[in-house]
Amino acid sequence: MADPPQFLTLKGNRDRTELTELLVRRVFFGLVILVIVAGALNVFGQRPKDSFASASAADLHVFAPTALRGGLYYEGRFTIDAQREIEKAVLVLDGGWTEQTQINTIEPAPIGESSRDGRLALDFGHVPAGQKLVAWMQFQVNPTNVGRKSQDVELYDDTTLLTRVDRTVTIYP
Amino acid sequence: MDVVARALVAFCFIFLLTRLIGRRELSSLQPFDLILLIVMGDLVQQGVTQNDLSITGLILTIGLFGVLTLGASYVGFRFPRFRPILEPEPLILIEDGNVIERNLKKERMTQKELASEARLQQIDSLEKVKWAVLESGGQISFIPKSS
Repeated sequence: MADPPQFLTLKGNRDRTELTELLVRRVFFGLVILVIVAGALNVFGQRPKDSFASASAADLHVFAPTALRGGLYYEGRFTIDAQREIEKAVLVLDGGWTEQTQINTIEPAPIGESSRDGRLALDFGHVPAGQKLVAWMQFQVNPTNVGRKSQDVELYDDTTLLTRVDRTVTIYP
Repeated sequence: MDVVARALVAFCFIFLLTRLIGRRELSSLQPFDLILLIVMGDLVQQGVTQNDLSITGLILTIGLFGVLTLGASYVGFRFPRFRPILEPEPLILIEDGNVIERNLKKERMTQKELASEARLQQIDSLEKVKWAVLESGGQISFIPKSS
């Protein structure tokens, strides 16, 4: 039998089983496939989800993604369904809506904006009984924004709390 | 800090992916593979720098990639034990005209592909090959029996 080329050995370069490498390869690509499947199943966003809270005065729907990734654009749709007249409908948004997030547009534009205990308060004015107010907000996540954040939304009639939607958003890097 | 962390994750992921994907896939670039590589490069850039258009970001990311490449190369040189982790060992595919099927299977390669590679080196039959070695970089070296 001829000698193998210099620096090669039959044991190391012909008969090596590479079991460890095979195992590492399978585990690595298994994990990659798992991540891809999780992505396809909306684990990493950004399919929107409807969150809902009901009260005698009004129902509040929030339709927005609960999982996002850095840099993504997304929409939040806020629907106030007034059961009785609301003199001054004010939506108060938790920090998860505004912190490290661009607010590109709000339609219809609120008639007033302010801060309530550090949270963004948007005044949409009068909503007659039986009528619906829909506000669309377009956002973009800053690339450095990562983690779980509260995105609770409260609906006030001026300073009286009517109802509250509890939600959390997870932002992946 | 964020851009450095992103670049580090990207480097490790690309390193693992290219290391484990197999050398044959990387060495034989068909037009499709070439386009895929360019697309992958673009996707990596978006994930690493995102909206950072600064010179600082460029220096940080390219600098880190350079340092990590150099580091991996140094570790392989200084500590031979780690070399098989960093780059695959050469694999003997033909010994004295006999094709080692087990090793071909390991690299998901057929005898036809091996013969095609041999023809590129003016060898018309695998039986005339004394040694064929799949090198770390994915190229196949043929040592003919007559030499």
